[in-house]
Amino acid sequence: MSRRSSPLNTVIIAAVAAAVGALLTAAASTLSGQGQIAAYRAPRTADGKPDLNGIWQAVNEANFDLEMHMARPAMALRPGPYGPLPAAPVLAWGAVGAVPPGTGVVDGGAIPYTPEALARKKDNHEHWLERDPEIKCYLPGVPRATYMPYPFQILQSASAFFIAYEYAGATRNIYLKDPGRPPVDAWMGQSVGRWEGDTFVVDATGFNESSWFDRSGNFHSDALHVVERYTRAAPDVLSYEATIEDRNVFTRPWKISMPLYRRLEKNAQLMDFKCAEFVEELLYGQWRKAPLK
Amino acid sequence: MKLRHLLASAGFVVAAAAPASAHHAFGGEFDPSRPILLKGKVTKIEWVNPHAWIHVEVSKPDGTKEVWMIEGGSPNSLLRRGVTKETLLVGTEVVVDGYQARDHTTRANGRNVTFTDGRKLFLGSSGTGAPLDGSDPTEPSRGQR
Amino acid sequence: MRYRLLTFAGVIGAAFVVSMTPGRLIGQAPKPGGGAAQPSLPRTADGHPDLQGTYDLATLTPVERPTGMAAVLTDEAAKQLEKQVAARNEASARAIKGDRAAPPVGGDGSVGAAGGVGGYNTFWLDPGSAYTIVNGEKRTSLIIDPPDGHVPPVTAEARARAAAARARVVRTSDEIARENDPGLEGPGAYDDPERRPLGERCLLGFGSTSGPPALPTYFYNNLHQIVQTPGSVMILSEMVHDARIVRMNAQHLPQAIRQWMGDSVGRWEGDTLVVDTTNFTDKTRFRNATENLHVVERFTRVNAVTLLYRFTVEDPATWARPWTGEYAWPATKDLLYEYACHESNYALGGILRGARLREAEETQKTKK
Repeated sequence: MSRRSSPLNTVIIAAVAAAVGALLTAAASTLSGQGQIAAYRAPRTADGKPDLNGIWQAVNEANFDLEMHMARPAMALRPGPYGPLPAAPVLAWGAVGAVPPGTGVVDGGAIPYTPEALARKKDNHEHWLERDPEIKCYLPGVPRATYMPYPFQILQSASAFFIAYEYAGATRNIYLKDPGRPPVDAWMGQSVGRWEGDTFVVDATGFNESSWFDRSGNFHSDALHVVERYTRAAPDVLSYEATIEDRNVFTRPWKISMPLYRRLEKNAQLMDFKCAEFVEELLYGQWRKAPLK
Repeated sequence: MKLRHLLASAGFVVAAAAPASAHHAFGGEFDPSRPILLKGKVTKIEWVNPHAWIHVEVSKPDGTKEVWMIEGGSPNSLLRRGVTKETLLVGTEVVVDGYQARDHTTRANGRNVTFTDGRKLFLGSSGTGAPLDGSDPTEPSRGQR
Repeated sequence: MRYRLLTFAGVIGAAFVVSMTPGRLIGQAPKPGGGAAQPSLPRTADGHPDLQGTYDLATLTPVERPTGMAAVLTDEAAKQLEKQVAARNEASARAIKGDRAAPPVGGDGSVGAAGGVGGYNTFWLDPGSAYTIVNGEKRTSLIIDPPDGHVPPVTAEARARAAAARARVVRTSDEIARENDPGLEGPGAYDDPERRPLGERCLLGFGSTSGPPALPTYFYNNLHQIVQTPGSVMILSEMVHDARIVRMNAQHLPQAIRQWMGDSVGRWEGDTLVVDTTNFTDKTRFRNATENLHVVERFTRVNAVTLLYRFTVEDPATWARPWTGEYAWPATKDLLYEYACHESNYALGGILRGARLREAEETQKTKK
């Protein structure tokens, strides 16, 4: 199989070799950490990591109810002559107050509560108006902050990974070096991040027991442990998974997953959503000098 | 006056350095005409902002028990000095002097919160005045970590 | 021949891999553009100084210069004053009597924020232990312009605004209580939550800690964190977990859109990050300024552990002229912790309830 090696042949062979080399390099990068060949290789930051910078938002009904569910008349219900009806305090909202249907984000369908915890979840659901921390504009916790229906921004540099959420101005600084045990409990917990191949893995602990997972009473204790996985799946899509475990509430760890979409508008930016101001009448109105009628 | 002197060091006296709009008016929340002295056991500590709250169970003269919520400062500075939620244990005996809440609930400001022997709670290793201003270009300004 | 082809391919492939894995760029690299480059400063990959880190803004240097002081302290004088502060801290840390009496009826004599009831122990506080150093000088004020170190006089319009605000307040029998009680504020100050300071409502941290301009609180929780990406620079203030996102090389929001911390856009001027902020709400009211407040901040890295922060404030409706201040932001190894404020704001309810109870008691008294 001899052939004369002309200069042109050499150039063509070199070009093909380069292309093959490039393909192999790209495939190798996306193979690592996922155990499968992903179609997309994300652009890198200057320090060689997939670039997760940008403004992202979930598009689903997870904040209403993590599990697959039919549409419901309202988030607060009362018995009616032919089935549940919106409770009096939310009646005037009409269809705006309805719970839309959702195909669910829980792997396996159902959240694996212990029997006592399931009873408490149902009780929470029935007392949504008094108990859902979202109503009082309390910090949303993790992972609820991710799928609140508002944008959040990832700011990623070589030395930092920070997430700013539009809702209630919630923030999470993801430590790239583990600072050790969280000294006290926090609404947004303490997060430590690391790269596994092209996936940014965040390990979050140090939560208080006060946040909920959604508007349906799904809850946790201060033993909550969340492991999140952020992977760029396409130019404008982040693949997001969160594994949740809490020995006081669930029989085993369980997982949610969903795509997060980039806000592509030219003028996309986080704006003020300081809702604490908006709930002052709800929380303190009765103690005005002249309470409103 | 010694007390004023101490408070001056705490920044409570409005000197040139004090913030124009104060953190909040303690005088609006607590009542100078209702001083209290409480001795009891810690039953709960809320390590929260804007104020930590130490719940203290006291025995009243008639033998019944009553829980007071004692308002403290922000826990964050304490956390930076190594205090954690395990530092002050439930059951610890404390002595609190201060003034009762203006709404007459069993809440008070923890003007002084001490152990029964008078030692102040949460004394960390805050040092005695080595300037921590970054003037040494090889050293960050502080931190025990 | 085949061997030669494989070797060639291998070299090309290797070259490709190497080109795709950039090495560490921090600490080297001349930067693009003009201005005096300091090759020893850490830089990001795009050549700009790396401003990132966690900083503790606590300082003994007040915003305005105390009367009679020079602009700069001698090292001797500074050491003296810093030692005095340290000594006072040590004294206030000393044990008191366990077996002690309650404080006096009518208040313990404390004034200002402590309002007669004395606040709480100094172990909660972290107000600063040293004077800020800029260009090797220990400063006696943050304000450098006007040169007297004071905020310029307020305009007649600003005085009229303040008077009108006071006139709107309904005078009640609270006046009597207020005259006898140094802790209470003016009449009507407790009528509604909206009348309370933003810090008390947990809407913004007190003392303009986030600003802009970002000022020391002279109290605690002065930690700030900067995260820097090509398109955005984020400045996090510990209180109240406020992340101010500076959009680089962008246009301001439309006039109709107002934000609590305004809208910040940034650009590089040589090695200095210049941040321009407008679009404040009319509720922010930094030192009683209007919504037309305009703040320009300049961040410069001085050395590996220090930033210089300079700010210029202007609002022609409030001050006769713009004013400028500056101070050092020293890096800290300390961690910035969550300051969830609104979630456990027991105090605000207590303050309002207390005011209502006091009014009810006043009404009872006047009935008798």
